[in-house]
Amino acid sequence: MKPPPFEYFTPASVEDALALLGEHREQAKVLAGGQSLVPLLNFRLARPRYLVDLNGIPHLDYIREEDGWLAIGAMTRQRAVERSALVRDRCPLLAEAMPQIGHVQIRNRGTIGGSLAHADPAAELPAIVAALGGRLVVRGPDGERVMAPERFFVGYLTTALEPFELLVGVRLPVRRSRTGHAFVEVSRRHGDFALVGVAAALTLDAAGACADAALALTGVGPTPVVAAAATRVLVGQRPSAEAFQEVGRRVSETLEPDSDLHASSEYRKHLAGVLTRRALTRAAERARGGEG
Amino acid sequence: MAMARRYVSTRVRRREDPQLLTGRARYLDDLRLSGTLSVAILRSPHAHARLVEVDVRPALAAPGVEAVLTGEDVARLARPIRAEMSGPGYKTSGWPALARDKVRFVGEPVVAVVARDRYGAEDALEEVRVTYDPLPVLTNAELSMRPGAPRIHDDLTDNILFHTRFDNGAVERAFVAAELRLSHTFRHGRCTSAPMENRGALASFDAAEGILTLWASSQSPHLLRSGLAEALDLPESRLRVICPAVGGGFGPKMHLYPEDIIVCLLAQRLGRPVKWIEDRRENLLTSAQAREHVNHIEMAATGDGVILGFKATLICDVGAYSLYPVTAALEPVTAASIIPGPYRIQGYSYDAYAVATNKCPAGAYRGVGMALGTFVRERLVDMVARRTGLDPAEVRRRNFIAATDVPFTTASGLVIDSGNPTESLDQALEAAGYDALRKDQRRSSTTTYRGIGLCSYTEFTGMGSGTFRRRGMSQIAGHDAATVRVEPTGEVRGFVSAASQGQGHATTLAQVLADEIGVPMAAVSIVEGDTERCPYGSGSFASRSMVVSGGALILAARRVRDKVIAIAAHMLEAARGDLVMEEGAIFVRGMAARRVTLGQVARLAYRPASGTLPPSVDPALEATQYYDPPPATFSIGTHVAVVDVDAETGQVAIVRYVVSEDCGTMVNPMIVEGQIHGAVAQGIGAALYEDVVYDDAGQPLTTSFMDYLLPTTMELPAIEVVHTETPPPVTVSGFKGMAEGGTIGATAAVANAVADALAPLGVEVHELPLSPDRLYRLIHQARKRP
Ligand SMILES: Cc1cc2nc3c(=O)[nH]c(=O)nc-3n(C[C@H](O)[C@H](O)[C@H](O)COP(=O)(O)OP(=O)(O)OC[C@H]3O[C@@H](n4cnc5c(N)ncnc54)[C@H](O)[C@@H]3O)c2cc1C
Repeated sequence: MKPPPFEYFTPASVEDALALLGEHREQAKVLAGGQSLVPLLNFRLARPRYLVDLNGIPHLDYIREEDGWLAIGAMTRQRAVERSALVRDRCPLLAEAMPQIGHVQIRNRGTIGGSLAHADPAAELPAIVAALGGRLVVRGPDGERVMAPERFFVGYLTTALEPFELLVGVRLPVRRSRTGHAFVEVSRRHGDFALVGVAAALTLDAAGACADAALALTGVGPTPVVAAAATRVLVGQRPSAEAFQEVGRRVSETLEPDSDLHASSEYRKHLAGVLTRRALTRAAERARGGEG
Repeated sequence: MAMARRYVSTRVRRREDPQLLTGRARYLDDLRLSGTLSVAILRSPHAHARLVEVDVRPALAAPGVEAVLTGEDVARLARPIRAEMSGPGYKTSGWPALARDKVRFVGEPVVAVVARDRYGAEDALEEVRVTYDPLPVLTNAELSMRPGAPRIHDDLTDNILFHTRFDNGAVERAFVAAELRLSHTFRHGRCTSAPMENRGALASFDAAEGILTLWASSQSPHLLRSGLAEALDLPESRLRVICPAVGGGFGPKMHLYPEDIIVCLLAQRLGRPVKWIEDRRENLLTSAQAREHVNHIEMAATGDGVILGFKATLICDVGAYSLYPVTAALEPVTAASIIPGPYRIQGYSYDAYAVATNKCPAGAYRGVGMALGTFVRERLVDMVARRTGLDPAEVRRRNFIAATDVPFTTASGLVIDSGNPTESLDQALEAAGYDALRKDQRRSSTTTYRGIGLCSYTEFTGMGSGTFRRRGMSQIAGHDAATVRVEPTGEVRGFVSAASQGQGHATTLAQVLADEIGVPMAAVSIVEGDTERCPYGSGSFASRSMVVSGGALILAARRVRDKVIAIAAHMLEAARGDLVMEEGAIFVRGMAARRVTLGQVARLAYRPASGTLPPSVDPALEATQYYDPPPATFSIGTHVAVVDVDAETGQVAIVRYVVSEDCGTMVNPMIVEGQIHGAVAQGIGAALYEDVVYDDAGQPLTTSFMDYLLPTTMELPAIEVVHTETPPPVTVSGFKGMAEGGTIGATAAVANAVADALAPLGVEVHELPLSPDRLYRLIHQARKRP
């Protein structure tokens, strides 16, 4: 469990990092928190010739509000997001998901950008960004492009990032009024990747009917699955156990998740239905209670 | 003259903890010998294949590489490891330290590369070219034991490494009389012990003296030395094994492994120290695994819950090789013999098999055999309760051995020397508040089901040579030994053949020795884990250290103490019988002023002048005592687990956990409870989380802690422990072993609790681990049934 040899760079700016990536392309890998990359190196499953360490670059580590968005720098540690009062207030869905990512020790080093760029099909953060319709901010040699999650996440451990690009930040819409959120997941142990996780956001109108609903699931496909068709039926309805059960049934029906060591496809489908119902139920309670 | 015990039975703080907790203790990888080279091992990627060609030339040319060792080299230099057993039904084949003709499991060592550091050695492994010719793979013991199955060892007639049959003669009668007959198949997953410190070995050869020293992360220094002597064809006088601080063993570190031999051969050849440190992936691929069983069992009982008999077929998947010194028979023999447990069963017969497959070899692991046998039996006891409508506690009571029955010979022939299972059950139920728990249970929510699981068990401990000889395990000594020496300056030292892996021997054995001599603990120290400094013995496994090494220590201490008294009597001109020794001083009873200190006695003993020693007394204060205890002494206990099962997701949460245990006199109740906590965690792991999984091609799928799931503190409940203390009549110390009971009890108790929770849904539990996916399927199937 020792990595193959590599050359190691510590650029001091995004520009320097991009120059290195531009030079070495596919032979280079970016190192952020190292919580996914270092195990891959030690198992010799990844063999980059060059490692470009982002930890020396200033100004990629921030959490702030900008024009109705919560903006988070790519190198912001997961633990910092978890502990941020601003995140709790403006994006409670993210705050609820954070403690479910790995363990404290992992979140102390793991970054927001690293998790999104790694795009593990069972990770929490891609589903959060997908559920909320967030934006991924990407820098390349020709400047910045801002991408929607459905374009950014392209497959199993694969994003639309080019080898010469960096993810520099993520933006999430701040919470609207009369909106409730919930993130629920089942994992084998506390801190394991989710077998299935569901992120839900539900907005009620003044009369208490559902004005808008959004759902994204993790662990059930190569990328986060946004269940738009299933949630559309909720709009205009009053939240009810039957309605949520029905959405769960529909979500479950459309999925064809893979089987792996810890969960069969059939079990994941079933869980997706149960967790969808539970997430929507909790989100509706919170929307009514005004707690977000 | 029995000593008043001052330290034994008290919660003395662990002496070793300051070093361990501040990082000053030295584990194997912390040892620094100048010029040490590092070994990396190329391991088979195939589960079963012929080795066609091994080309190591490009690796030899890689930077920093000092040597490369192949199976051909090893065949010239060392004998294969052989696990021997006397008696019928056993077949063995050697395990060469590096594969030569064939590989038999993924992870089997094929080539060793030595380089300046581990990085360079691993880089050079990539240069080795091996051509394999794949063979049919066997990953299922039931298929592997069929006639005509491909053979894993070409020199054996089939893949059944061990088979034994037993019938106590009363089983047919029991089944004829039965009103209730149950027939079930139980399966237990494959477990690995995953100690915090992986294995490791460092060898150094002193060419001038001709002495080869192996530092090993081992539980059994002397058995390791004997195994090495055999493999390397060296006299034991030329071999020294030293165990530094060891970070957990749990059984697998009692075996001799190929890597031990590889570092020795390389150190001899290169004349430089050579080190191999197992990494976690290697640990999960190659350190001895355990448990994997299929058990077809029939049970006979009366309509009012009296169990009459069992007929069992146990099939144990032992992987590719039989391990020194326990052999492949260990798991099936222990499991079969423990099945009657603490119950008065009349009839019992079994067929027990150890079957080779193309998987990592299986060996000793905390609760070996007993965890499986107990799981199967205790599940059946609960099934009887369900069928008869009796409370599970009541069924147990109707079948227990009574306190007046001991010593009791069980239906499998084990002699339970002491203990009262009814008392243990009562204590556990009271501590748990069982009646209230049962009342509460009916108030479960619609999706969460509460279950209460009991387990009553017996734990085979402190085995003497009688047990190993009866089983035919000829490579295990069975005895242990201690040397007690009072140094000329008066400190008391115990040199024992035990070898701690974290159990706290430096504390507990010092408690025993201090009490036995009559000195403050501060004057006492314990030395273990060194074949040159300590007398020959079996080491620390199978819950034996306190009984056997502790027993030897007591006997040696008594001899030294007698000598101290004899000299002191001469010095004080008093009769021996009038002397008392306390706090390091010897005085005439009732006349505390007429005294000498142990230091004064010691000075005289080592530097006698004429006439200062009594006529028949030799100089010095030292005695060595070997102790071969009776075949076994049994600890007993009861576990109560309370779980909540989410019937929609299949998730299990343990909400209460209570243990009542009896291990005779507790040397240190704090350490006993620590052992129980850790052991319960491992038992819970086997019940709910842990499983080494291989695919059909024999590829292991659980090669990191992301996939081999150990329970963490987040999954574990607070564990409440209560005690009864029934000292055994058969050991010199009054101690019993106790390190495995937690594991033995927990797997069954949790399985029973889950089954109890889901009883309203018609679910039964036969197979472990109870993953959420498995529980979902069971619930789903039960709901589909009309
Ligand atoms: C025991 C354990 C449990 C875990 N459990 C969970 C869990 O439950 N849920 C979960 O979501 N995650 C989990 N993780 C993963 C963890 O969240 C990682 O931190 C995360 O996946 C990667 O973030 P990182 O900063 O460590 O990235 P790194 O490991 O440094 O990098 C990951 C990948 O992303 C690329 N990369 C990183 N940053 C950028 C960037 N700014 N631009 C372009 N590419 C970039 C790297 O090149 C690499 O390919 C777990 C990890 C461990 C070790």
